[in-house]
Amino acid sequence: MKKINYIIPLLLFLLTMLSCRKDVKIKPDSSYESQLFIESILFPGEVPKVYLSRSQPFFNEEVTPQEMFARGAEVFLSNGAQEEKLQPDSTFDKFRCRWVPYYAGTVPAEYGKTYQLTVTYQGETYTATTTIDQARVNLDEVEYTPEFFDVYGGHDGVILRFRDAPGEKNFYRFQMDRFLDTSRHHAHILEVLVNDCTNGEKFWITDLGRTIFRDENNDGQPMELYAEVSFEYRRGDTAYIYLQSLDETAAAFYEDIDNQLQSILNPFVEPVFLKSAIEGTIGVFGSAVRSDTVVFVYPQDNP
Amino acid sequence: MRISLFLLILLPFTGAAQNFTISGRLTDATTGEALIGANVFVTSLQTGTTTNTYGFYSLTLPKMDSMGIAFSYVGYSPQFKKVFPDQSFQLDVELAPGVGLLDEVVVSGQRADENVARPQMGVVDIPTEKIRELPAILGEVDVLKIVQLLPGVQAGNEGTTGFFVRGGNADQNLVQLDEAVVYNPNHLFGLFSTFNTRAINNVTLIKGGFPAQYGGRLSSILDITMKEGNNKRVGAEGGIGLVTSQLTVEGPLKKERASFILSGRRTYFDWMIKPFLSSRIRTNYAFYDLNAKVNWQLGPKDRIFLSAFTGKDDALYIEDGIEYNVLFGNSTATLRWNHIFGQKLFLNTSFILNEYDQNISALQDNAFSEVLSGIKDVNGKIEFQYYPNPGHVLLFGAHYLDHTFRSSGRTEAQSGSDPSPGIDADAIPVKYFDEFAIYINDEIQVSERLSASLGVRAPGFFSDEASYYRIEPRASVKMALGPASSVKAAYTVMNQFLHLVPSSTASVPTEIWVPSTEQTKPQVSTQYSLGYFRNFRDNQYESSLEVYYKDMQNQVLFKEGNQLVETLDVDPLLAYGKGWSYGAEFFLRKNRGRLTGWLSYTLSWTNQKFEELNFGQAFPFRYDRRHNLSVVGTYQLSKRWSLSGTFVFSSGNVYTVPVGRIGVFYGGSLFEGNYFVYEERNNVRMNPYHRLDLSAAHKREWRLFGKDLTSEWVFSVYNTYSRLNPYFVYFEVEPRTGEPKAKQVSLLPIIPSITYNFKF
Repeated sequence: MKKINYIIPLLLFLLTMLSCRKDVKIKPDSSYESQLFIESILFPGEVPKVYLSRSQPFFNEEVTPQEMFARGAEVFLSNGAQEEKLQPDSTFDKFRCRWVPYYAGTVPAEYGKTYQLTVTYQGETYTATTTIDQARVNLDEVEYTPEFFDVYGGHDGVILRFRDAPGEKNFYRFQMDRFLDTSRHHAHILEVLVNDCTNGEKFWITDLGRTIFRDENNDGQPMELYAEVSFEYRRGDTAYIYLQSLDETAAAFYEDIDNQLQSILNPFVEPVFLKSAIEGTIGVFGSAVRSDTVVFVYPQDNP
Repeated sequence: MRISLFLLILLPFTGAAQNFTISGRLTDATTGEALIGANVFVTSLQTGTTTNTYGFYSLTLPKMDSMGIAFSYVGYSPQFKKVFPDQSFQLDVELAPGVGLLDEVVVSGQRADENVARPQMGVVDIPTEKIRELPAILGEVDVLKIVQLLPGVQAGNEGTTGFFVRGGNADQNLVQLDEAVVYNPNHLFGLFSTFNTRAINNVTLIKGGFPAQYGGRLSSILDITMKEGNNKRVGAEGGIGLVTSQLTVEGPLKKERASFILSGRRTYFDWMIKPFLSSRIRTNYAFYDLNAKVNWQLGPKDRIFLSAFTGKDDALYIEDGIEYNVLFGNSTATLRWNHIFGQKLFLNTSFILNEYDQNISALQDNAFSEVLSGIKDVNGKIEFQYYPNPGHVLLFGAHYLDHTFRSSGRTEAQSGSDPSPGIDADAIPVKYFDEFAIYINDEIQVSERLSASLGVRAPGFFSDEASYYRIEPRASVKMALGPASSVKAAYTVMNQFLHLVPSSTASVPTEIWVPSTEQTKPQVSTQYSLGYFRNFRDNQYESSLEVYYKDMQNQVLFKEGNQLVETLDVDPLLAYGKGWSYGAEFFLRKNRGRLTGWLSYTLSWTNQKFEELNFGQAFPFRYDRRHNLSVVGTYQLSKRWSLSGTFVFSSGNVYTVPVGRIGVFYGGSLFEGNYFVYEERNNVRMNPYHRLDLSAAHKREWRLFGKDLTSEWVFSVYNTYSRLNPYFVYFEVEPRTGEPKAKQVSLLPIIPSITYNFKF
């Protein structure tokens, strides 16, 4: 069933007539100590990347990825037979014109293997493991839809059709890769994007779905996945679509994240506490298997 | 325990020779209205009783040559009757309202005030005459807002009528009007209650030491009795206020045998706000309520009552492609028959219908959504009250309740020019389930100093999905320490088969009532309370100090991230846990003199623990407020002028604020954005709430065309120093710096109002 938040609009009615608002100071919790945030998903055939950052006190100003980056960490990835120390690296985010740092390895991850991640940072050591054994499920069909409804409201987007891998619990997520230029804005942050460091060149971008689709009560059956896309498009734009099959731990963490995004800044929804998939700190270490690529051409401009 | 109870029940049936019984009704001399909870006191024997909900009393006494009986009631001139009994007889007494009771006549030997003498604790009676003396909000004096000023009762949000008793949620209060349950007693999103003060005779709040006749809710019973109507002469009264007007007409259908009352109220809030709205907003809001009651005395032993109530709210809000419609309302009907067997046994039989409906629809982003839900109850009650001798009342009865729940919702795409048809209410599948209870309660004066109210209630619930049967022991014991002081203790177990899933911090009518299921088990509470009660200056002042501990099991909250959904099958969305509350309540009331009023202070703690929430750790209940203070006063300046004021202070509500933030940037495996780090639920307290309301009333009595006419101007100021009290706090991210800023929303600043009341 679709969820509807009636509370805020109803209160609009009341507030329009009777309310007044003012800024209030909330005493920040001075005892809050920054925590290490670990984020890494291994894909077979790709070199591992581990994003390490430090959380900030809630009422602080936003900081750049470089400022949040956990420098000086020691990051090791082992599959039992082979251990590699990951090194700091970075990617330039052309959409936002900024560098995003992470720790990268050189040895591609392999399907069927179990990996242990060990991170030592400021005297503390954190470990987590994942096994890349998810079924690779290919897409049967991709279709454009000008309008569908989900918990976030009405959207345009794409529909992915596929058959669930039978006999196991599966967790799926949408991924779309495409070339963009700065004439294609992000659906949610149009006014924030002011930089243009691309000199008119197109750049590669990955658009990830927020929602995790489980195969609960649908084992081995045909499934449909509706996904909202994040960036604007024009008729004829080409995109490359994948279906990610995630491990259960990572899927649970992403579901928490998705639920939290719905509750953030909404005083009428129970807040969602992130349950870490890594003991002793916050974060996720998991794995995913991608389907074959499906080339998709937008049949119309975005509505 | 069982043996003691059995012996106590047997006591009254022994040694009944050489006795006589005097019984009757106490009524208002000017209107014929029953006086509820009035005192009947035999001065020579230093014993007595109180009238029941219908003004009935019965006293069985040893034969004497003569005896004096005092009849008294707050706000009325007492009467003293000397009787020469040689056999049982009926004595109906009319008490005249005590106009100008500044120096009330005190009948010698009058028993200590009820708060000290009765074994029950946690009971507060509020006569409506007292309610109407207090300051108004937007010209309306509201019953539920007065209840919020009592010890142990916490108000909900700013300006709303929601109330929370001893750490219980709002759904744990049984609000009933002439025995009919009112599921949503609010108008205008809680700014007013559905109860029209002019149609009400008496309000009783019970928050602990529940007698066995009450059940079905964990935390309180708010028992509201409608007026019966003046059986002596036709009269009318009304009021013209800033947002509502009302009119009440009452009179005899057959003089002193039958009467009626009809009372209506309607807001014109919708007309008032129109000039202040921008042209892009179209809104409409209207509410009304209507009370009607007829009573007929068929003979000296039989009386029937038929009462009905209906109230509706209808709101519309349209702005820039969004459209919201809210329609909700309650309707009740109660048919009662009183019969007196002999002079010691009183019977009340009730047949009750009540219905609550709400329909909320929304059009936004070309998505049309509608949620429709309703509850319909059919009740049957039978209750006997047996008065074997003074200081002994045996009460027993049964209650059967048939619930019909229906709920449906849907969402579909819709263009503005092609409106979706609404849900067909008749096509919605319904859920049926039933509740029943049998009970017995014995209130007995064991000795001169010791009295007790002992009872047991056996409720049950059954539906297609689940059945539950429970036993609820109830015990209240009073030990008199002197003529004006006593110590009381109480133990109660309560069950509740319905849950109201709290969906927000706001008092909007979107919360869903759900019945117990196999997964959602009945709520159950165990409460222990202890109190010291003392009156001063011949009951001019009464005071009490009560402490309590309440344990509440099978509590429900939405799981993290969930909110209102358009489905009745909410079990998968719920988290289950427990709650507990403890505290101390102090109450001091001045009953007579130019200055009357009360002071109430509550110190309390309420916590909850849910396996699935807050990492399984205990956290404060959202209305956990450490301090609650209310000061209420009315000063009779002269015969025409009276002044009144209310001051309230309470600790702020708690809410959840993240302690940390994690920035996620493009390139990783996560959807980019800021994620929040929470360490504890309800970890921050809002600013304290305080407010001062003042009012002045000028009353004038005169004669017009041979009729007595009373007119009254009431000038009141709500929130006199315009304190911006927190309604809720939300966060906005400053776009340039990305820094979250807390914003507090306050609802009601200073609101002056003027009301004109008349009565003839």
